[in-house]
Amino acid sequence: MAELLQYVITGVTIGMVYSLIALCFVVVWKSSGVANLALGQIVLLSSWFAYAMLVQAGLPPWLGLPLVIVFALLLGWVIERVVLRPLIAQPILSLITVTLGLGYFIQGLVGVIWPQSLVPFPALFPKEPVHIGTAVVTQEYLWAAVISLLLFGLLSLYYRYNKMGIAMRAAADDQKAVQACGIPVTRIFSRSWMFSCVLAAISGVLVASIAGSVGTSLVSTGLLAFSVVILGGLDSFLGAIVAGPIVGLVEIVGSGYLTPLTWPEVKEVIPFVIIVIVMFIKPYGLFGETRIERI
Amino acid sequence: MDLPAGTRNYSYSEDVTIFRTGTQKFLLAVLILVLLTAPIWFGGYWLTVANLIGITIISVTGLNILTGYCGQLSIGHAGFMSVGAYTSAILTSRFGVPFLAALLCAGFLAGAVGMIFGIPSLRVKGFYLAISTIAAQFIIIWVAKHWTLTGGAAGMEVMPASILGFEIKTPTEKYYLVLAITIIAIFVAKNIVRTRVGRAFVAIRDNDLAAEVMGINLFRYKLTAFFIGCFYAGIAGSLLAHISFSTSADYFPFLDSVLFVGMIIIGGLGTTLGPILGALAIRLLDVLVTKLSPTLQSAFPNLPPGFTSGIAPLLFGLAIILFLLFEPRGLAHRWTIFKSAYRLWPFSY
Repeated sequence: MAELLQYVITGVTIGMVYSLIALCFVVVWKSSGVANLALGQIVLLSSWFAYAMLVQAGLPPWLGLPLVIVFALLLGWVIERVVLRPLIAQPILSLITVTLGLGYFIQGLVGVIWPQSLVPFPALFPKEPVHIGTAVVTQEYLWAAVISLLLFGLLSLYYRYNKMGIAMRAAADDQKAVQACGIPVTRIFSRSWMFSCVLAAISGVLVASIAGSVGTSLVSTGLLAFSVVILGGLDSFLGAIVAGPIVGLVEIVGSGYLTPLTWPEVKEVIPFVIIVIVMFIKPYGLFGETRIERI
Repeated sequence: MDLPAGTRNYSYSEDVTIFRTGTQKFLLAVLILVLLTAPIWFGGYWLTVANLIGITIISVTGLNILTGYCGQLSIGHAGFMSVGAYTSAILTSRFGVPFLAALLCAGFLAGAVGMIFGIPSLRVKGFYLAISTIAAQFIIIWVAKHWTLTGGAAGMEVMPASILGFEIKTPTEKYYLVLAITIIAIFVAKNIVRTRVGRAFVAIRDNDLAAEVMGINLFRYKLTAFFIGCFYAGIAGSLLAHISFSTSADYFPFLDSVLFVGMIIIGGLGTTLGPILGALAIRLLDVLVTKLSPTLQSAFPNLPPGFTSGIAPLLFGLAIILFLLFEPRGLAHRWTIFKSAYRLWPFSY
């Protein structure tokens, strides 16, 4: 029983980090209908940038982390302006493959600038573990969970009450109608990419800080987030925030109990099995909007 | 613009001929002659490259039928290749099945696995399908890494291909094997897309609702597309295994799946020539980068050591993005433009 509690708490807190990465995806999908498959690589790039700021340049966190945010804003702006703006109203196939190409490009860029495969990353949060009942959780995970809940709250409020946020939702629904109302659609796209990259940077720094290192494995963490968005529904913040802990939970509990029975690395494949199961049973996810095609 | 000026088709058989004019037939003969004599003037290294290119062309041709003609994006093609590779490896080494039978079995099993992961395509499309094929890639590779039958992470040894007792071992023999199968694959693909099935694929790609209204059974044809596409991948995977005498999960990384999609984008979606040009362009670029790496490393001593490993993905990604932005119809379209330009020269039209 004690181990179950431990698995549950670890799973839920890890899942909150997945939720955060999933939110990056949802922000872009919700406002522009672009599926960002370069998510993992953007997380990778921003955490390497954080490494460059904090370790290579030796900046203190209060200066380095805001610089990472600024970098992420710029990155989002550049990606939208250079890569995605020319592809507005192109077939969905182009939109998906261009983000794949972008991911490839970013990975190459990271390889050129930081060829090391794995470097240590300083811990940003106190290391002392917290005891919940019989279970032990490192404080970093709790901080990460708090941060992602906070960002989820802010985003939900923004999309519900802020004028720009409402415009973003409208743009997702019908771009032409929004344009006819005099709302600059391109600015909406640009802003949603900037938001998304900032979220990716935050999650990148969190993951790097928790793992204590920066390396290419961050890309696969980004891939894990796809199972979260698929399970939660592509266009739902609530979905992302609920599905993250579910995926984390299934991953940790599943691997905890299945590993002795099957293979040691069963953890790696669980998120993808989740994707396939969701795809067969309920392809639009728990909270996603079901698309009904009309002629 | 398919035919040179002044050429007319007066009968159905003329209309469906692929190589129509004397010049085309002559050029084809020259090409085949060059390809057949290639081992004489290619070195061992270039033969290996040529074998890899041939296998890539087979796989990408399959992906082109699935994505370029039927419009169903698959980002798990390397995974489907691995199904073929392992099937053929296990059949030949454990059960003593002859190579050609194992090759076909590899294709059929890969096709069947592809169909299973293609089932969601009936209900979802676009990004959802892309994600489910990504999941297919990771699940297949994971299974290959952990199943005892497939030799686990270390992979397994594969016997050289043998046809009627003749073992294919040297690079030259491998080259002819790959060449023959590549030519058959391209020929079959070209003809599949001209049949009723191929036209149904195009209809589904262009507008699946309209296709359904016209009486095309979406489920059946989408699954057929998945089967054909993955059948090609299985054949390619089997060849790769028998040519490198081994197979392991590392031969089929996720990035290769992305690269295959990139190749059909760069080559030109929905054309016969596209996959050939795309595979050639990317593989030759890869060779170029590998050759240039030491020079670059010494030319830029200020950059961190090992930075050249990032150059290839950087260029591939850049190529995919640039082609999508500036020439979404790919190299095949450029080739068509070039052809019509030289046919009409010195007039512009």
